[in-house]
Amino acid sequence: MSGDPAPRLVVDGRSVDFSDGDTVLVALLKNNLHPTGGGCLCLAGDCPHCLATVDGVAYVRTCQVTARAGMVVDSQPRRDHPPFPADQSPAQNAVARHLFCDVVVIGLSDSGRAAAASYGGRRVITLDAAAGQEVIGIYPGPLVVARTATGMLHVHPRDEIVVATGAAEIQPVAPGNNLRGLVTARAASRLHAAGIDLGRVVAVGVPPPGVDTEQIDGKVIRFDGDDGPDARVRAVVVRDGAGVEHRIACDTVSLGLGLQPRDALARMAGGMKVRAVGSAAGHGDVPPCPKSGAVCHCCDVTVRDLESAYERGFHELELVKRATLAGTGACQGTTCVPHLRSFLASRGGPLPAPFTARPVTRQLTFLEASAGAYHRATPRTALDDEHRRGGAVMDRLGGWWRPWTYGDALGEYWAVREAVSLGDVSTLGKLRVSGPDALELLERLYPTKVSTISPGRARYALLLDDRGYVLDDGMICRDTDTRFTLTFTSGGSSTAEMWVRDWAETWGLDVRILNQTMSVGAINVTGPRATELLARAGLEDPPKHLHHATATIASVPCHIFRLSFTGEVSYELHHSSAHSVTLWRRLLDFGRDLGCRPHGLETLLRLRLEKGHIVVGQDTDFDSTPRRINHEWAVKLEKPDFVGKQALLRTNKTALDRQLAGLAMDGPAPHEGALIWSGSAHVGYVTSSAFSPALGRSVMLGWLALSEGRLPDDVTIDGRPARRTPTPFYDPAGARLRV
Amino acid sequence: MTPQARGFVFERIAGSRVVATPAALDAACWPPDALAWRLAPDEVFVTTAISREVVDDPHAIIEPDGGFVGVWVDAGRALDFLERSCQWELPDERPAWAQGAVAGLPVKLWIEPDRVWIVVPAPYARDLEERLS
Repeated sequence: MSGDPAPRLVVDGRSVDFSDGDTVLVALLKNNLHPTGGGCLCLAGDCPHCLATVDGVAYVRTCQVTARAGMVVDSQPRRDHPPFPADQSPAQNAVARHLFCDVVVIGLSDSGRAAAASYGGRRVITLDAAAGQEVIGIYPGPLVVARTATGMLHVHPRDEIVVATGAAEIQPVAPGNNLRGLVTARAASRLHAAGIDLGRVVAVGVPPPGVDTEQIDGKVIRFDGDDGPDARVRAVVVRDGAGVEHRIACDTVSLGLGLQPRDALARMAGGMKVRAVGSAAGHGDVPPCPKSGAVCHCCDVTVRDLESAYERGFHELELVKRATLAGTGACQGTTCVPHLRSFLASRGGPLPAPFTARPVTRQLTFLEASAGAYHRATPRTALDDEHRRGGAVMDRLGGWWRPWTYGDALGEYWAVREAVSLGDVSTLGKLRVSGPDALELLERLYPTKVSTISPGRARYALLLDDRGYVLDDGMICRDTDTRFTLTFTSGGSSTAEMWVRDWAETWGLDVRILNQTMSVGAINVTGPRATELLARAGLEDPPKHLHHATATIASVPCHIFRLSFTGEVSYELHHSSAHSVTLWRRLLDFGRDLGCRPHGLETLLRLRLEKGHIVVGQDTDFDSTPRRINHEWAVKLEKPDFVGKQALLRTNKTALDRQLAGLAMDGPAPHEGALIWSGSAHVGYVTSSAFSPALGRSVMLGWLALSEGRLPDDVTIDGRPARRTPTPFYDPAGARLRV
Repeated sequence: MTPQARGFVFERIAGSRVVATPAALDAACWPPDALAWRLAPDEVFVTTAISREVVDDPHAIIEPDGGFVGVWVDAGRALDFLERSCQWELPDERPAWAQGAVAGLPVKLWIEPDRVWIVVPAPYARDLEERLS
């Protein structure tokens, strides 16, 4: 005989012992404890009367959990939710295992086993709560989700789902049904078998096998017991067929009131190929109409509440559910649905079908609910490590991790304006388009005249949707007569690619499209000494402004685009991202004595604002037309057609109501989003704002409302005067970028 | 960028991306010592350099490509990871090529009997490495 002490649980701070194989509920009952204080126990996981918080997890059905030494069990508030766990630290990764098969059989009752055996030669997965695989929902797909001790199972059946989950015992509805000592007939047998002394047992309805009981007939009128919480039943009162009430003293009432199919999983699988078998497919017993007492213990709904809802016109089961919340609690209607149906049927209507079930049938932890889900990944350019090593403050911008600043934004700014600087623009969308219809495709897509772009040249272009609103912007670079390179904004490239592909397919044009956004890196070399730096790196014949060419720079093959977002001489070096780090480091080395340093996005946004360049999505809105953003110069309405043209022709006939405009003011830059006032009238808001070190004042872009066909010249922002100012603010003639 | 933490070493894959008519790609004879993955009806990734003559389409786009990284993982470990992170059914044959969302990332798989090459666009290498671990 072992000298080891009995294993112990901690229940509400109190240590209690248990025997090997006991469930938590049995362990509690052996110690004269009850998880919820009372209510008819089923020991089958159907009712809400044994719920407790176990090891920090709330709503655990203690009848379904085997006790383990050291397990901590806490009672839950009877009329409130259990508290959130105090430990909110990130949990380990939630695990979901994906299994694929032809058929899933849920429940290994006899009918479930028979069903599983009938699918000879097909891949069948069986899931059974008793084996530790508790199915909690069926989703479209179909997808069957089960929880196990080691994580969630996501089972993907190809052909069919079989629900063989058996039947649940009907619970009593009568005054006193929240007392201790009430058990279903099956539960009475199980508790007896577990060695629990039930005392004097009175059996109502079907008797519990193997238990000595006093069998009584009649309808339960009420249960009498002690007063106060945790009160025990002392007697059951029944009314016989002659209408005579009998009060029978007892310690336990065994209630064999009938069965109802445990078919919630089948009921939530509307439209999917799901079949219930065995008692899960039965119609179930209908209990007598409840007269008084608690119907739904989960949501504290009484018969009186049902009557009140009915009197207010809620005569359908789904409406009664919504009006009273009966059926929406922890047991999801397993306890109350038979009584709700009986209640409504007794008022003259047909016996209603049980209400629609929805996942999940069991309470889940956040960890379980999130199993298999991943947060959206943010891609990193090939230079990500270089930026971080260089002390960059990284941020998620335009859908990518990007350097915001390297710690000295002003120094980065002046490097661009006065020397040379590198910027990582690998995040730009990059699309190659080739084919006999490539020109036709782009001509139809873009509002600019693509045919006038010669090979080797590049042009800024807007991309419009079919309502004439600005979808994105970027460059069209012509490589040959039938080959183009397109660039898009970082955040808009995915949409732009879909847009281009969709239209190419819609029009049936003969083109090839390759998205190189992820595989081609891009480094912007910008500043008055950019050409000098690139000459050191091997560029002998630099392309002119808005030209492009191929060349080897610092031993790396590059496609060089001469264009400028910063207002200074700029070269975008597109190259295989496999060589980004090499190219970046060599350029920094070549330019060290030129004052070359990298700049982050904070600086780039300031530089482009000085030039009045818009950022689509920041300066534009969902209904921004070229006219509204003052970009009519980028639209050639004389073209035969392009996406958005008809909408522009139509909307151009209406009066312009608002327009994006340049603004300037002394002092610090207002916040982006600041309201713009003209006198006492609110006329717009700021979309981009920065202090310009080169100009010594703040410059902005913002939306302004027109009044009597005119934009206001003088406005107030943050209580300070600002003046509408033509853009570009910096180097309006563009002399610097054409050097 | 070659994340090397936790035992996974992602290597850049030097290859070519070929976009051409589906018919031209169907008819192409790829170098026998290379893997050719059909990413889409009109796109193939080949794990070697490709000359223009290979594809009978004068408008084909053939570009050297280093945009993918991959890691070889022994089959047991890989399949365990895929069982946890892949919501679609893997092919049964070996070797097999498959692609789709794995762990929320755009992944390509080359599945051999004893090992699996897990390939992802380089910008997602860090995320895949974290999710593999």
